[in-house]
Amino acid sequence: MEEDNHQDGEAQEVKISDSQPESIPPADILLGNHECPEPVEGNHSTADDRNQSVDSQPSHVGAEESGLDADVPPHLGAKLEPEETKDSDCLNNMSTHLDGTETEVRVTDNDQSDSGEFVVTMLAKAKLEEQGIGVKGRPSPLLEAGIQESPSFKSQRDEDVTTDSWRQHRKHVFVLSEAGKPIYSRYGSEEALSSTMGVMMALVSFVQSGDNLIRSVYSEEHTVVFLQKGPLVLVCVSSSRQSEQQLLGELLYVYYQIISMLTQASISRIFEHKKNYDLRRLLAGSEKILDGLLNLVDSDPSFLLAAVHCLPLASSLRDSLSQILQKAITPNLVFSILIAKNQLLTIVQEKTVIEDARLEPADVHLLLNLIGASSAFQAGEIWTPICLPLFNPDCYFYAYISYLDPPECTVCLLLLSTDKEAFYAVAECKRKIEEAMLTQNSLSLIAKAQLYSVNQVGVSDLRHFMYKPFDVPDNYRQLTQFTSPEMEAPYSNEEEKMRLLDLYRYMHSRIHSTSRPLKLIYHVAEKETLLAWVTSKFELYTCFSPLVTKTCAITAITKLLRWIKKEEDRLFIRYPPKYSTTPNPSKSSKSSKSEQQDSTDNGYLSPL
Amino acid sequence: MPDLSKMKKPDVKVVLLGDMNVGKTSLLHRYMERKFKDTVSTVGGAFFLKQWGPYNISIWDTAGREQFHGLGSMYCRGAAAVILTYDVTNWQSLAEIEERFLSLTDTANHDCIYALVGNKADLTDPKVHLSQDADGQTKDPTGGDEERTEPQVLSAVPTPPASPTSFSGLVLHKQVTRDDALSLYERILRYKGLDEKSSLPADKMCFETSAKTGYNVDVLFETLFDLVLPSILRKRHENRESPTVDLEDSGGVGSKRARSSCC
Repeated sequence: MEEDNHQDGEAQEVKISDSQPESIPPADILLGNHECPEPVEGNHSTADDRNQSVDSQPSHVGAEESGLDADVPPHLGAKLEPEETKDSDCLNNMSTHLDGTETEVRVTDNDQSDSGEFVVTMLAKAKLEEQGIGVKGRPSPLLEAGIQESPSFKSQRDEDVTTDSWRQHRKHVFVLSEAGKPIYSRYGSEEALSSTMGVMMALVSFVQSGDNLIRSVYSEEHTVVFLQKGPLVLVCVSSSRQSEQQLLGELLYVYYQIISMLTQASISRIFEHKKNYDLRRLLAGSEKILDGLLNLVDSDPSFLLAAVHCLPLASSLRDSLSQILQKAITPNLVFSILIAKNQLLTIVQEKTVIEDARLEPADVHLLLNLIGASSAFQAGEIWTPICLPLFNPDCYFYAYISYLDPPECTVCLLLLSTDKEAFYAVAECKRKIEEAMLTQNSLSLIAKAQLYSVNQVGVSDLRHFMYKPFDVPDNYRQLTQFTSPEMEAPYSNEEEKMRLLDLYRYMHSRIHSTSRPLKLIYHVAEKETLLAWVTSKFELYTCFSPLVTKTCAITAITKLLRWIKKEEDRLFIRYPPKYSTTPNPSKSSKSSKSEQQDSTDNGYLSPL
Repeated sequence: MPDLSKMKKPDVKVVLLGDMNVGKTSLLHRYMERKFKDTVSTVGGAFFLKQWGPYNISIWDTAGREQFHGLGSMYCRGAAAVILTYDVTNWQSLAEIEERFLSLTDTANHDCIYALVGNKADLTDPKVHLSQDADGQTKDPTGGDEERTEPQVLSAVPTPPASPTSFSGLVLHKQVTRDDALSLYERILRYKGLDEKSSLPADKMCFETSAKTGYNVDVLFETLFDLVLPSILRKRHENRESPTVDLEDSGGVGSKRARSSCC
C-alpha cells in the first residue's frame, strides 16, 4: 500500500490544521487513552525484550499514569481530555512537518463550506434528484438482459436510497467505472445511485485534472476514501471511525474480489475496448459475493490482520488430513484446501507452484468468501473459474468445491487446478479423499474440533486476544496465520462483538499508523483495557477486564505467549504440506497412483 | 465404500442452460430435494448425480451469468440432453437462449435432445398454483414460501424479507407465450440441422414449469430421462464393446480394425 504522508503545500492543498482533532475518534472511544508516551516507547529498540520494554514504560508515563491505574474509568475520560488534545496536536505537527514528495493530495478539510461537507451535501443532493426518476419503470438494457430480479432477491439492493436509514449505514461502498458508470453499491441499487456516482466521478476527475489523486475526504461524521485501480474507482463512505489505511485496505479487498471473478486482464481489455462498458453485465449475480465480503470484512478480524484463521486441531489429526489430501492428486492440481466452519483445516500445495509464488492470505479470504456466498445448493459439486488476484491477477484457476458432509455442509473441500477440463479428474480426487476420510473416521473427529475458550489460557483478567506470528526463516512462504479464541461474554452479542472489533481496529490503526507507528499501546477504554504489541516476531492484541493493572496485563501477556508457544502445533498449520503433480517422469510415480494420467498435460501451469 | 467411485460413474449428461435468474438452480433443487428455497447466483457450474433406475444421470446446473459464458461449451461437451430455460415473465430471457446459449450446444452429442422450458409459470398463471395440490409434489406450499423469503445466511445486516403475500397475490404479465416457445423450438431444430419430422415434436419438448410450486418439474426431468435412455444404452453398449476389443479380442476385431484403418 502506498505511503500516506500527509501532504501540504501543493497546489491543491487544503488546510489540514483544523481537521485533525475531529478526525480523531471521539472521547468515548479514546477514553482514558494516553498515547504520548508510546511513541517514545516505540522508538526504543527494546521492544523485543518484554520485560525491559514494559518496565521502561511507566517512567515515560509518569504521575498521570499511576493515577490512571488506580482510578475508575469514568474519571479517566475527563482527566485525559487535555492530553488527548495534546496528542492531536502532536499528530498535526507530525503531519504538517511531513513533506510529501508524491503528487497525491489528500483532501483533508473540515471547513463547513469546503470540500468535506461539500461532498456530503453534493452526494445527498444527487440522491434527492433521483427521487423522481423511478428506476423500476425505466427500460434499460440491463433490465432487459434479465437483471430484473424476482422478489425473492429483494434485499439491500432494493433499499430506497432517498431515506435517512440508507444514509445512516455505517459503511457504504461504491464501485464505478472511470466513465462514471455505476458498477456496485453495497446498499441500494446502482441504477438509483447513478447521479451520486456521477458526483463521485466528478470529484475524482476534478482532482485528476490538476495532476493529482484524490485519496480521502473527512467530514465531521464521515470519512470518504477513494481508490483508483485501473479502470475502476472504488469509494468508501464510512462513519466507522476506521483509519484511512484500513478503509483503503477494505476497498482493495473489494477490488480483489472483482478481479477474482473477472481477472485484471479482462477488465482492462473490456474498458480499453469500450470506455463506457457497463460492467454489471459481467458482475450481475455477483453482488451477493461482494455483499458477503463486506459483511465479513466488518465482522471477521482476518481481513484486518491480513492473516488466515485456522481451526484448532490436534496436530496428529491435521497431519492425517494433510496426508489424505497429499495422496489424492491429479496432474495440474495446485492447491488442496480443507475447510470446516469457514475456517482452514489444512492446505496442501503444489511444490513447484509454491516455490514460485506464495499463497497470500487475501487470496484465501476471497476463496472462503466465495464458498460462503455460493453454497446455496450444497449437494452438488461446483466447478468454477476463479482468479487469485495476489497470486496472479490475470489468470484463472479452476476451483472444485464440494461439501463432504451433506446435509450439514460444514466440511468443505476445495481443489484448485490449472486445467479447465480437469473436472472429472479432480472430482475423482474428491472420491478418494472421501473414502480415506471415511476409513479414518475423520469427519466425526473434525466435527468435534472447535474454537477454544480464552479460559484455557488460564489468565483471569484476559477476555480475548488476537495473536499473529510473523514469518520465521524456516517456514518462509508460509501462509500468514493468526489465532484467536472465541468471543465470549461480554462480547457474545453482535453489538458488543462489533464494539470490541472496533477497539481492535483502533489499536491496529495506531500500531500501523503511517505517520507515527507505535510498537506498544496500553489503552484504557470505557469497559475494557486493551494492550497491543508488535515486535519483529509477532503482532498481539489483547483485551482485559477494565480493572486490570498494567503489571497484571504484562504478566498475563507473558503467560499468554507461553501458552501459545505450548499450543502452537494445535493452533496453527505448522509445516504446510506439499505434493508434486508435475508430470515429470522422475516424479510421476506418485501421480500415477492417482489413475488420472489420461488427463492431458497440455496447459500445465500455463496460466502461471 | 470401495464401490463408491464405481457406482457414481455417470452414464449420461444433461445440461441446464439459460439466462441468469430464470430459475435453473431452483428447478433442479425442486426436482432433487423436493423443495423450493432462495438460491444465490450459481458460480461456474454445479454437478449433480441422479440415480435413475439402474442408471446414473449427471446433471450440470450452469451459471447463467455472462461472466461464466466461456465455460458453457465445456459443460455441454458430450451432453445427451440440454434443457434451455427461460422465464415466462421475461421475454429477453427467451431471446438470450437464441443469442447466447444455443451456440454453446455445438459441443453436445449430435443426437442431443433439446427441451425448452419456461419457468416461473406460477407468476403468470393462477392455475399453476392450484395444480400443486393435484400434483402432490408440494405438500407444504406455505413452507416453500417461507423458504423463499429466508434471508441470506451471510448478511449480517438485517434485510427486509420479501413479503410473500404481496408476491403470491401478484399476477405478472406473461411475456412469452407458448407459441413463442414452439417457434423457437423449430428454430433450434433448424439451427441444429435436424429434420422436424424425425425429431421430437415441439409440442412434447416445450414445457412450462414452476420451481416454486413444483408444477411440471418432475414431468420435465422424467420425460427427458426416459428420452435419453437409448443414449445410455448405446453408450453402455459401446463401453462394453471397447474393452473387449482392447484386451481380449485383439486378434479378431482388433486386427480387422487395424486393417480398415490402413486403408
